[in-house]
Amino acid sequence: MAQQPSARFPFRPVAQLLGSNGPVHALAYSASPGTYILTGSSDRSIRLYNPSSTAPAPVAASNTITSARGPSVSTTPLPAGKLIQTYTSHAHEVLSLAVAPSNATFASAGGDRAVLLWDVATATTLRRFGASSTAHSHAGRVNAVCFAGAGGGDDLVVSGGLDGTVRVWDARSSHPKPVQVLAEARDAVAALAVGLPGSAADAEILAGSVDGRLRAYDVRAGRCVADAFPASVTSVCLARDGRTVLVGTLDSKARLMDRKDGTCLRAYEAGPRRNEELRVQCVLGGGERFVVAGDEMTGDEEQEPGAAGGAGGGGDNQGRLWAWDLLTGKVVAQVPVPWGSGSEARRKVVGRDGKPKERKNVVSCLAWKDGGFGDQFCAGGTSGVVTVFGH
Amino acid sequence: MSYKRSRAAYEADLAAQQSSYVVFGTPLPPLDPDVRDDGSYVPLWKQEVRDERGRKRFHGAFTGGWSAGYFNTVGSKEGWTPSSFVSSRTHRRKDDPNAVPQRPEDFMDEEDLADLEESRRVQTRDAFSGLGSTADDAARRHGLMGLFRAEGDTMGTRLLKKMGWKEGQGVGPKVRRQARLHLRADGGDSAETYLFAPDNVPMITFVRKTDHKGLGYVGETRLAPLGRSAKAGNDGDNNDDDDDDSDPDGTGPGLGRPRFTLSSGRTNDRPRKKGGIGVGVLNDTGSDDEDPYEMGPRISYNRVIGGDKKKKKKAATAANPALKTQPAFMPSKKAALAKISLGLRKCHDGRLPLDGFVFGREPDALTAEVNAPGKYPPPEIPPGWVSAKQAQPQAGKAAGSYVSAADAAKASTLDPRARAAILGEKQLPGKSVFDFMTPEARARLAAVTGRQDLPPARGEVPAEHALSEADRAQQLLSRVPKLDKETAVAAISRGAGGNAPYRDDDAKRARYIAFLEYQAGFRPSPGPQPPKMNADEWLRELHEFYSCARIFKPMTGFMASRFTTSSASTAGGSGSGSGSSNETGGGRDIVSKPASKPEDPAEEAAKLGMFGPMTRSVTIFHPVRLLCKRMGVAPPEHATAEDAAGSGRPAKPEAAWPQFEPAREARASGGNGHDAPSQQQQDLPDVGALSSSTSAGVGLATAKLAGGTPAPEAPGIDTSRNPALEGKRAGEEVFKAIFGDSDDDDE
Repeated sequence: MAQQPSARFPFRPVAQLLGSNGPVHALAYSASPGTYILTGSSDRSIRLYNPSSTAPAPVAASNTITSARGPSVSTTPLPAGKLIQTYTSHAHEVLSLAVAPSNATFASAGGDRAVLLWDVATATTLRRFGASSTAHSHAGRVNAVCFAGAGGGDDLVVSGGLDGTVRVWDARSSHPKPVQVLAEARDAVAALAVGLPGSAADAEILAGSVDGRLRAYDVRAGRCVADAFPASVTSVCLARDGRTVLVGTLDSKARLMDRKDGTCLRAYEAGPRRNEELRVQCVLGGGERFVVAGDEMTGDEEQEPGAAGGAGGGGDNQGRLWAWDLLTGKVVAQVPVPWGSGSEARRKVVGRDGKPKERKNVVSCLAWKDGGFGDQFCAGGTSGVVTVFGH
Repeated sequence: MSYKRSRAAYEADLAAQQSSYVVFGTPLPPLDPDVRDDGSYVPLWKQEVRDERGRKRFHGAFTGGWSAGYFNTVGSKEGWTPSSFVSSRTHRRKDDPNAVPQRPEDFMDEEDLADLEESRRVQTRDAFSGLGSTADDAARRHGLMGLFRAEGDTMGTRLLKKMGWKEGQGVGPKVRRQARLHLRADGGDSAETYLFAPDNVPMITFVRKTDHKGLGYVGETRLAPLGRSAKAGNDGDNNDDDDDDSDPDGTGPGLGRPRFTLSSGRTNDRPRKKGGIGVGVLNDTGSDDEDPYEMGPRISYNRVIGGDKKKKKKAATAANPALKTQPAFMPSKKAALAKISLGLRKCHDGRLPLDGFVFGREPDALTAEVNAPGKYPPPEIPPGWVSAKQAQPQAGKAAGSYVSAADAAKASTLDPRARAAILGEKQLPGKSVFDFMTPEARARLAAVTGRQDLPPARGEVPAEHALSEADRAQQLLSRVPKLDKETAVAAISRGAGGNAPYRDDDAKRARYIAFLEYQAGFRPSPGPQPPKMNADEWLRELHEFYSCARIFKPMTGFMASRFTTSSASTAGGSGSGSGSSNETGGGRDIVSKPASKPEDPAEEAAKLGMFGPMTRSVTIFHPVRLLCKRMGVAPPEHATAEDAAGSGRPAKPEAAWPQFEPAREARASGGNGHDAPSQQQQDLPDVGALSSSTSAGVGLATAKLAGGTPAPEAPGIDTSRNPALEGKRAGEEVFKAIFGDSDDDDE
């Protein structure tokens, strides 16, 4: 397989972000420098980390490295990123995060039907959209949130939720009503994306829905383009130029779609990868050379023994990441995601039948630094420990 | 180590517990000054009523009050104690081996139990309900004597049967005689004799004489013990049968059931009178033997001259009916002589029967007459007649040594081929079943039988069943689903634009095109079967092609006349009233392609991987002006004012139905400014022009009303009114064009 691109893929874990008391559902890098990472956890809090200012542990001694081919070494635990701030105002799990381009505010949404606008520095909520009346707020949990506005600003907050609506909130005025409700989706809205200014997707809101449609609302033209997919859409990632969009669906595939005519440019799938039940994110990364996606399955379920390798290897239900080459569609890396330290308590879960079960580390959320053009990315999931990968 | 107490200590202890020296009766309570003697008077307020189980029954207001109900009935203050809950999912109560079975008594209180006890009555069974009862007389025929008499087969019968005796045979050694195969008595011309069981000898029963009448005399019906009335009735029947028998010795033909009674010659030739109450002249039966005027006591005297007077028999004790079975008849020489004197039959050798023996009568008088020798002889067999059912020549030999069919089959040395030759069947070519088996079938057979030495399967097809290559292809093609020609042509035309499916597999795409051309009738066959596929796979692929091409089925009928594709509408221009294309001005090309069925074709296409125009559908949505402003874009023409419908309005597939909202459009444009009429004309197709002037007027009016408070972002809208509802209805032509002219009659 292509060894050259895999060498450039940042598969080396460089840091861990600890502190979450439950699975991590949302990750977001701060705007343009991408110095900080926000994590939204099912323990109802949002944490702000600096992954680079770690404890003075040798970064070189990394945990587990597995390229598409090779197993490899494992050693001491990873250094932990510095926890800077914790934002606690949600009443339920935090499901989505979005950082404003100005880095002054960020928006969060979660299972309590609330869409919150936070001040980063003071850790206070500036706005609580739709809190005045349930007639205006979402009727179910909010799956996705993102910023929109003129020139890539933060004037609008777009949120989509289980009630199948996309609501656009005005962040500048204190009007309690949403600016507009887009209710075309016939099932829950699972993912949102907003085109960058100047790109082909300028002034467009993309909403991926469980009804198997990706709807692109072109505000400028006033039309809604719906593209059908064979399964529920759970992840939407726009390219920077807005011409293509990466869509993850529940048929274990990610597709790169041409936005102009709706054709599928490339489908990304890997043999043992499975994504049929959970919302697993897929992102473009590495300067849009790679497609990175999480996995519902863990490596131990299908891998032949020994392939997982390492001390943390066999039998602990490590998570797994897949990376494809964007152009060729070939797998360039299969990266194990360790459970991380401090997550031992979450590995076991008491099932509905009352018996303890081993839990899988499902890698459900991903974020690439600097909008896919940075040199590192982070992945989180069931373990509650966010692993930062870099070169 | 026990120590012996002193007598005084023992007595003191004993007296403290009970009275000493009590041998009989209940001891008095101990001599304790604190304990009252039971016999002493207790004041009323100290008396307690207790039930048999020692429970307090009455509770006063201070000693229980209303809770007495619990204690009196239920037994606990909490009420009925429920049995502890056991989940029946895992622990089935009915499967519990040590579960106490519940009885109805468990749920009864004292009253119910008392009722139950009361309802039980001790009574004797019917058989013990008194010897004088006549209720079950038939069942109790034999009374106590039934105990001593065997019912059904007696032990002797059973023993005889075990020794080989059968019903209908006589007892004794076998008799060598001729076979009675012929109807004729004298037909035994063959001298062969065989051993036969002896003939059955009729049983002789005796009627016991218990009265003082003369022999054969039966007087009036008397009340007889019921136990014996049936027996008497039998006798009566017998007498009736013999009533007309003029020949008392039975030589003549008699109708009726034969009775072989020793005394039948004498005693049973008188009918018994049926009279029950009294015997008078009118009860005369016409018999000469009875003198209706006879008087005197019923003493029996001999009526037979010459016969001596019968001895008076001792009256039998009726209490012992077993005596009935004792033969009481003592034949005497004189009686036999009397019979002779009466001209009894002689045996065939001219001698009298032995003493105590009588001649048997014919079994049935009628049949005896019919069967009388020589009376009705069977037809004579014509001389020279030969039966058609001749026995086989070998049958005589085979009959000697019988061989069953199975044994014969085993002994046969013929193989199937030889048998086929014998039967004259056409021989199969020298092949076995395995030559016609497929290898899979042989593998299955080998797996089932476990034998690996089966001959190899060749999978041949018999020549008469073999199909030619062309026939097989034809058969395969007949299983290919049929696509109608229009659909196939539409699919081809779509595929020509580069949107055909299977773009990743050129060979498959070529096969797909070939399939479409075949279905469209452009070529005779859907191409050759690919070499890598077998017939089933190929057929499956053709089915897939079929389902793929079916998406392109053109719209038909009603729907086709109402809708056109977007390209056609932009090319066709405006003006058609029934057209549904959205005519937007300003040169902005809004592509609108409403699919005939919004979901299914797109999802099917997506499942087939045909992303592109098939999976894409474009609808109009109305962005709120504030949204456009915040997004930094110029609002499109059909953008709605903010707060138009409260919290925005969901976008609709407006492309097909632009005519429905002329008022709204007029309102929005009217509020927008002075170019309202022109834009109104631009926005609306001509079919909406009927309502344009009025609605535009309304819009202007509201704009004037709102003019006092300038709203920079929001045009003046009266939010208390819903213009969509209050606006004028769209023109009739619009509805007519869309929904057809179903309301012609109303107008």
